[in-house]
Amino acid sequence: MSRLPTEDLIARIAASAEPVQRLRPPLPRTLLWFALSLPWVAAVVLIMGVRPDIGERLHDTRWLIEQGAILMTAAMSAMAAFCAGIPGRPRSELLIPLVPLVVWMALLGEGCVRSWLSVGGLTLQADWMCLPAIAMIGFGPAAVAAAMIVRGAPLAPVATTALGALAAGGFAAFGLRLFHLQDASLMVLVWQAGTVFGLVLLAGLGGPFLLRWKRPDQAPR
Amino acid sequence: MGDDKFDIELRALMRAAQGGDGAAYADLLRRSLPFVARVVRAQRAYGVEIDDIVQDVLLSLHAVRHTYDPDRPFSPWLAAIARNRVIDAQRKRGRIARNEESVAELPETFLPDHPNTRAPDEAEALRHAVADLPPGQRQAVEMLKLRELSLKEAAAASGMSIAALKVAVHRGVKALRLRLSSSDEINGGVP
Repeated sequence: MSRLPTEDLIARIAASAEPVQRLRPPLPRTLLWFALSLPWVAAVVLIMGVRPDIGERLHDTRWLIEQGAILMTAAMSAMAAFCAGIPGRPRSELLIPLVPLVVWMALLGEGCVRSWLSVGGLTLQADWMCLPAIAMIGFGPAAVAAAMIVRGAPLAPVATTALGALAAGGFAAFGLRLFHLQDASLMVLVWQAGTVFGLVLLAGLGGPFLLRWKRPDQAPR
Repeated sequence: MGDDKFDIELRALMRAAQGGDGAAYADLLRRSLPFVARVVRAQRAYGVEIDDIVQDVLLSLHAVRHTYDPDRPFSPWLAAIARNRVIDAQRKRGRIARNEESVAELPETFLPDHPNTRAPDEAEALRHAVADLPPGQRQAVEMLKLRELSLKEAAAASGMSIAALKVAVHRGVKALRLRLSSSDEINGGVP
């Protein structure tokens, strides 16, 4: 009436011990994710057309720091997502992307305050194109991240998929600003960062459905 | 120091297991059992069977064995899997408990001739009848009808194919029906 005796289970598991390809450490995996995602992001940016004032922007320190923070948020999120799939690693690694994320948010917040002080108010307009644009640019990095994340252990499904979405969304937000002429901090905060966080939320909710331990019936025969 | 030695040995076994060495893998799993049980107990896994979780941990270890890096300690890797499976088991247990309702007395109808509950001797007769079935049929009936496992789960646990299980349970139920109806007739019991 009881389940399979443990000794029998061990014999079955051991009998199916085929050689496995070890997962590479998170840093090389992050570099691989970046290398595989970059062509997609670059292709979309080129198809949409690089913004005409890109030369000017490349001399704008603030814009460069913002872009650097967004890119670092994406890369650190990917690395944290890969760390999350390895048992025994410290949970604090999941917080790695917080540093560049805080820098990005602080710059946007400071930009909002500065605009408010100089103009005496803030205007928020509709910029719906950010949603499909970020989804489109982020599709490539998201697909690569998903394929890599599922190879890890489903220890923290919500955090892992949310971090994967932050990686893809961050990379997409970085790419968007290379062709989209929108630099007003409030607009970037609401429409671009808002879209990224919306995707992070959705991905986090879907995490437990995407990342699961194998069921007992998937045990080796 | 003892823990270090234990870890170094298991690390070497895991490295071999990742390379496809079945004997090293079996040795690793056997030697990991006390450690896993200790971690599970330390998590205060109330309301769940320790052995069930230990087996889940072994299956989970197998599923993610490629995530182990032999340059890192083995024990924290295994302990993280064990703790995670305990939490999952407790959540599952919590979900089941939320859908269960405790009642002081089972609601029964007491009609003079045909109560809706089985008399103790009938339960006993059923137990005997199941025990007398041929081994294959008995296992299939126990898994699919008494423990209510799915066909896939029963196939995984028994090593029988789904088709064989279907045939065995069909024959088993038929045999039980025959046997119980004939004993009912003999006793003049409830049809």
